[in-house]
Amino acid sequence: MKKISLIIVGFGVIGAGFARILHEKKDYLRDLGLEYKVVAVCEKEGSIISDEGIDLGDVLRLADGKKLAQHSGWTKKKSMQVLDEVKADIVLELTPGDVKRGEPGYGHIKKALSGGMHVVTSNKSPIALHYGELKRLAEENNLKLRYEAAVGGAIPLLNLRDKCLKINEIKSVYGILNGTTNYVLSKMVEEGISLENALDEARELGIAESDPSYDIDGLDTALKVVILANNLLGRDVSFEDIRVQGIRDITSEAVQLAIKHGYVIKLIGDVGRGEVSPRLIPVEHPLNVSGSLNAVLLDSDVAGELTLIGYGAGARQTASSIFSDLTEVTQFV
Amino acid sequence: MKVEMEMGLKDVPGSLLRSLEPISKHGGNIISVLHHRSEADDVKVKLVFQIKDLKSLQLIEKSLKQGAIKISDIIVEGRRYYEKKTISFILIGHVIDSDIRDTIDRINNIGCVSDVDVVMPDPSAKSSVLMKADIDNGDIDNVVDLIKDICEEKKLAFICCLLK
Repeated sequence: MKKISLIIVGFGVIGAGFARILHEKKDYLRDLGLEYKVVAVCEKEGSIISDEGIDLGDVLRLADGKKLAQHSGWTKKKSMQVLDEVKADIVLELTPGDVKRGEPGYGHIKKALSGGMHVVTSNKSPIALHYGELKRLAEENNLKLRYEAAVGGAIPLLNLRDKCLKINEIKSVYGILNGTTNYVLSKMVEEGISLENALDEARELGIAESDPSYDIDGLDTALKVVILANNLLGRDVSFEDIRVQGIRDITSEAVQLAIKHGYVIKLIGDVGRGEVSPRLIPVEHPLNVSGSLNAVLLDSDVAGELTLIGYGAGARQTASSIFSDLTEVTQFV
Repeated sequence: MKVEMEMGLKDVPGSLLRSLEPISKHGGNIISVLHHRSEADDVKVKLVFQIKDLKSLQLIEKSLKQGAIKISDIIVEGRRYYEKKTISFILIGHVIDSDIRDTIDRINNIGCVSDVDVVMPDPSAKSSVLMKADIDNGDIDNVVDLIKDICEEKKLAFICCLLK
C-alpha cells in the first residue's frame, strides 16, 4: 500500500467537493493500492492540522454548517504558515484566484514547491499569470505541478495530450471554455430573451455570479486560453497578449439574425489566434452545445480533429480532473 | 502550363485590355478570351493562357490585383489553384448611421460583399446586420483585420464566423 500525505488549501466548493470524492472513493483507492492521508485543511480564517490524518467525514459535516472552527484540530494558523510548518507529499491548491495577481494561489504554489512538495491545482489565475516562473520553480526542485482542473472542468485536455496524443503536434485548439456565457447565449437562442434577462435567470440558478463581468467580459476564457497556449501549443503567452471581446454587446436581434442564416453565437476562446470573441458557429457544428456545457475542438497532425464536450464547472466534475492529476503525481512520490 | 482564369471586370471601356496587359507582360500566351455580360455590375471574363512556370502566374496575379481586378477562380493544368471563400459576420451598433455604404465599399476593396441582411428594431436602437463576403483564400485575415478596424472606428461590435 502506497501512503501519500496531502494538504488541502481552500475548502470552498472545489476543496470540499474534492474531499467528498476522496472520502467516497476511499475503498476504491485502497483497492488500487493507494492510501491518501490528509494532514492539513486550510481555510481563510484558520486550519485543521493532524499528523495522524484528518477524518474527512467529520470535516465535511462541519463545513456544511460552516462550523470548521469547532473541529478539535482547528488552529488559527493561516495557510502560508501551515505550508511552512507541515510537510506533505502533495499540496492541493484549490482556492479561487484573483485575476489581477493570481493570489492567494500564487503564493501557496510557490511556498509548496519551495518546501519540496508537489502541487495539484484547480486555480487558473496563478497558472495563467505566472506560468513560466512556477514551471521553472517546479523543474528546479524536481517536483510536479499539475493543473488539469484549471481548464474545462471535467474535460481532460492537458492529460489527454500528455497520455493519449503524445505523437501529435497540436495545430489548433478552440472552443467554449466558460459555462456561464454558454448558458446565457443558449437561453437567448432558445427563449428569444435579452442578455440581461438570460443573465438574471443564470443568477437565480447560481450559474452566474452576482457580478458576472469576469465571465461575460471574457476574462475567465482568456485565462484558460493562456494556459492552453502555453501547455498545448508550447507558446510563451501572457494574459496581456490575448485580445478579449466579451458578449455584452450581443442583442437578441443579432441572435435571431444568426439563427435565420443557420448560425448560433458562442463565446469562443481561440487558442491559436490568442483571441476571445463571440463567433458565428454553424448550427450543425460540434461546438454548438447548449446550457452550461463546455466544448473544445482540438486539431492535430496525426489524430485529426477531436471534439471534447463536458461540464466546465461543478464540484464533482472538477474533482474528476483533480484526481487525474493526483494519481499521476502520486507515481512520483 | 495551361491556366484558366475567371475574373470580374468593371463594365467600362478599356477594362478588358487592362486585364490582358499583365498576362502578356509576364510572358503569358493568351489562347482564348470568353466574355459574359449579365445584369450584375461586373462582367465575367474567362481567360485561357499558357505560362512558363508558377512564378509567372504569381506575377500576373499580383499585377491584376494591383489594378483592382477581381479574380474569382484559377485552374492550373486542370487543378484548382485558387479558391474563393465566403465568410459571414454580424455587425451590431449604429451600422446604418455610421455609413453602411462606406463600410461595404471598404470591404469590397479586398473582397466582395455578396449579401446584407439588416434588423433595425427602431431608428434610435442599435441595428444588427449580417453580411456575407466572398474573399480570396489568402486574404481572409486581411479582411477580418480590416473589419475589426472599421468596427473600432465606428464603435460597432463584430461577430465573425469561425476561421480555421
